[in-house]
Amino acid sequence: MNNYIVTNLPEVASIILFGIGFSNLLLARNLIKKIIGLNIMDTAIYLFLAAKGYVDNAAAPIVTSGAVDPDLYVNPVPSGLVLTGIVVSVSVTAVLLALTVRLYEEFNTLDIDEIVHQLRVKDKEAMR
Amino acid sequence: MNLLYNVPAFSILLPMLAGVICLVLPARASRRLSNTVIVVLALLSFLLLNSFLDGAPTFTYRMGHYGAPIGNEIRAGELESAMAMMFLVVMMLSLMGGRNHLRSDIGRSKVNLYYISVLFLLSSMLALTYTNDLFTAYVFVEINTVTACGIIISKEDGYTLAASMRYLIMSLLGSGLFLIGICLVYGLTGHLLMPNIQEAVNQLVQNGHYQAPLQVTIALFAVGLALKSALWPFHSWLPDAHSSASAASSAILSGLVLKSFIFLMIKIFFRTVGPDVMTGHAILNLLLVFGVLGMLLGSVNALFEKDIKRMLAFSSVSQIGYIFCGIGLGTIAGVSAALVQVVVHAVTKAMLFIAAGGLMDASGGRKDFDALQGAGKRDIVAGAAFVVGTMSMIGLPFFAGFITKLTLVTAAAGTHDWRTYVSLAAIVVSTILTAIYYIRVLSLLFGRNGSEEQDGEVRGRRFLSAYLRRHLSMDTEYILAILAFIGINLWIGLRSDDLVDIINAGLATFQ
Amino acid sequence: MQEAPFVLLMLTDSLTLAFRADVLGLAFLTLALLMWTAVGIYALRYKDHQENNGRFFAFYLLTLVMLVGLSLAANYVTMYLFFEMMTLCSVPLVLHNGSAEASSAAKKYLFYSIFGATLGLLGLFFIHAYSISSDFLPGGVLDAAKIAGNEEMLRTIAFLAVMGFGAKAGLFPLHAWLPAAHPVAPSPASAVLSGVITKAGVFCIIRVIYFQFGAAFLRDTWVQRSWIAVALLTILMGSLMAFREKRLKTRLAYSTVSQVSYILLGLFFLNEAAFAGALLHVLYHSILKDGLFLSAGNILYQTHLENVEELKGLGRQMPRTLGCFAIFSLGLTGIPPFAGFLSKWELAAGALSSGLLPYAWLAPAVLLISAMLTAGYLFPIVIHGFFPGRAYRSEGPDTGEAPVAMVGVVGALAAATVVLGLFGAPILKFFLDLAGTIFL
Repeated sequence: MNNYIVTNLPEVASIILFGIGFSNLLLARNLIKKIIGLNIMDTAIYLFLAAKGYVDNAAAPIVTSGAVDPDLYVNPVPSGLVLTGIVVSVSVTAVLLALTVRLYEEFNTLDIDEIVHQLRVKDKEAMR
Repeated sequence: MNLLYNVPAFSILLPMLAGVICLVLPARASRRLSNTVIVVLALLSFLLLNSFLDGAPTFTYRMGHYGAPIGNEIRAGELESAMAMMFLVVMMLSLMGGRNHLRSDIGRSKVNLYYISVLFLLSSMLALTYTNDLFTAYVFVEINTVTACGIIISKEDGYTLAASMRYLIMSLLGSGLFLIGICLVYGLTGHLLMPNIQEAVNQLVQNGHYQAPLQVTIALFAVGLALKSALWPFHSWLPDAHSSASAASSAILSGLVLKSFIFLMIKIFFRTVGPDVMTGHAILNLLLVFGVLGMLLGSVNALFEKDIKRMLAFSSVSQIGYIFCGIGLGTIAGVSAALVQVVVHAVTKAMLFIAAGGLMDASGGRKDFDALQGAGKRDIVAGAAFVVGTMSMIGLPFFAGFITKLTLVTAAAGTHDWRTYVSLAAIVVSTILTAIYYIRVLSLLFGRNGSEEQDGEVRGRRFLSAYLRRHLSMDTEYILAILAFIGINLWIGLRSDDLVDIINAGLATFQ
Repeated sequence: MQEAPFVLLMLTDSLTLAFRADVLGLAFLTLALLMWTAVGIYALRYKDHQENNGRFFAFYLLTLVMLVGLSLAANYVTMYLFFEMMTLCSVPLVLHNGSAEASSAAKKYLFYSIFGATLGLLGLFFIHAYSISSDFLPGGVLDAAKIAGNEEMLRTIAFLAVMGFGAKAGLFPLHAWLPAAHPVAPSPASAVLSGVITKAGVFCIIRVIYFQFGAAFLRDTWVQRSWIAVALLTILMGSLMAFREKRLKTRLAYSTVSQVSYILLGLFFLNEAAFAGALLHVLYHSILKDGLFLSAGNILYQTHLENVEELKGLGRQMPRTLGCFAIFSLGLTGIPPFAGFLSKWELAAGALSSGLLPYAWLAPAVLLISAMLTAGYLFPIVIHGFFPGRAYRSEGPDTGEAPVAMVGVVGALAAATVVLGLFGAPILKFFLDLAGTIFL
């Protein structure tokens, strides 16, 4: 068991980070903390992917002079996936941050529970 | 047939291109562009579907320079093109039906931004339908999420902002789980293309290696996509999101967005994991149980709502439960029944949300039941749509809802164990609950009018001309959209064999 | 011998909307049309006391259309469709006077009916999956090869489907809508509700048991015993509740609950004599109950009195109505030579000959007790009406007898009671022949 953890240390670390990010996204009350949690979660996944692609003692997959033996390089596909993932993560974070700014303008608080509470109160007023 | 091979790729790329162009167009031009794109794609999808029905085989289409297993592919068959057509038709009708509300909810200067979101949403839904590659699926899932959020917050008030924030958060949780699942699968098999993954998974199962990670992966896929499709208990974001958005957005969200994720899940179960591994898998039982609970509790919650759009949203939770009940049965007949419900619910719920928009218009913009008294008489087209929707939900023969009950009960009867009894009991109880809250609204809509002057307006021969004068000038599209929806509902109810045959034929060649 | 059904349209390649007129369907159709006409003539005069008549008669006729479709249905899905449509068209009749009580009664009626129909729908789907033909065939349509191994499931579904259709027929435990709906509906509507619409539930049960599942499949099973037990319970319970009830129309509603379960009891014994007795009681009960409700309508129209105790001494001002009421009471209790005796006799004979212990002797005993209770809740009305006792002083104005048209219809029904009672034997023979063709 210990052997497994040590040999797969990046993967284990990434899963732990994923868990941290996931629970932050789910449970934190402050919107900024949720967004940070999302970023931690996504970054953890990139760590996992990068670790999956890594080959011991291999070079980065950048070819400068003609075709060479592919066994000498790290698997390039996960790097591509990580790049794609980063792009996705950035755009989603941008949307979330924009929403947070608007929410703050509207409700003057960054606490999601507080916002929902304010809306409920508003509903009750409207019903009367 | 040669040119038709390009239709799937075209369907994904054209809306994106049109969306980018919409950035610089004014409101009217962007609406026209969007409508044109959707109509053109619907025609092309229809031609593609026709060619499959005439016997053309399913094909894969290489996106980019590299072929399988390194490159990216999309795949088209009867089922995919039928789903694509359904998405396009319902989206067209929803946009037509909700056009007036766009004007009032969003404001002319930002309408083109709305159409950008809609076009990208359409592109992502079509991509999820046609894709054969898991990571592409993830990217388009994220595009789907962000643009769906876009069409909610296009109507700017506090409710939509909070609702879309909660939607985004829940959705991103699901995406995160989905992504880690993809990464695990990549780690286990080294492939991202679905057929290749299926081969590798079959080998793993035969060898007995990596069984635990495989099970975890399947669970991650299921839960991740279930979070995004509002399976109970992951549905908490749905009522706020669907009820606060404008009419067209609610119709698109409830009818189409949820379904694209469900279709992706079915595709993953069939093509990535493979029917050999999936049949009898424990995760299906879990989906069945949650589906059944969703059917019951969604209806129970809807009973207590005093606001028509929230009631319709909870009704969606209940109907999505039917779909998961069908998937959870674990047989091909069950998945077929689930797909029938996908189509029927898309058509019916979109119609109901558009009608709700019309009813709200006829009641001074308010959506609570007190204001909606007699609204069915003030806006007859919406009232008729609500009658058709109710009949369909109760499951009267002639209407589409009967066909989904027929296929689902027949599928449930096919599994001869506890699943039969649980599903049947849930169907019976949820039908009666559904009947209760829909008929209650119906009697409200056609009951006494709220005020005297409205009463005066309703009676007399002047009613028809006043109605036509008021509505025909700007609401032609709305009336046409609702009539088209009613027509589709009746067509499915009367000629369901066509639909069921297409779905069954598509499922046969799906993996 | 059956001719091909007339197919109106195809829903799927195996489910069609089709019609066929066989003897049972035509018999039910005739009954419905006759009752509808009689009550319609009554309603034309009764309507002077209510508003929104356009709406009333529109739904009155629409319900008849649905009944026509129901009786001529050639297969289960057509029957189910018209059954549901009939429910939807008859709800406005209950809702007619728009009061809060009417509104809640209409909702109860609607939801009980839809719940029952949904259970019936389950029956449709299972029959569809396990049958050799989608038509109604005497002896049932179950495919022996397909159902092998699934008999228990099918029996459960048969049980549920019949309980579902039984909701329309007032079978316990889905009977609660009847006492709620009758007092608030206008009297003509109550009459057809009790007289014909409950029989639509009975008709559907006949089709489901005899023409879809087949009597042989269900004979001597727990399903049959449970049905008989529930029917007996309903008979007793209905009579007891009627006995205690003070409001006239509610009392008659409980009486319907009880009497229609006589019919169902006969159907559940699955033999020819009980079946014929049940069908005869369908005819008799329709006439008797319509007569009773229309008499109550007369009383309401003239005096606006609703409770039984207030009807003391009514015989002085409304002798004809009360006289007809007396005839109907005698018939319902089962006293020869009035209509109602022969059917109960045949039911008891069928029960005794069925050999199904302990119900073979329990059923006639329950029928007897119920007959006494029926006498107990109907005769006092007549007796107190005609002989109020010396201490009675009439209060309230003497508004006289009800209008001629209304009394005429009631009188015609009373005459029918006497005639059909005296000449009940040929009718019974007709039903026995019909039973012969159904029990293969």
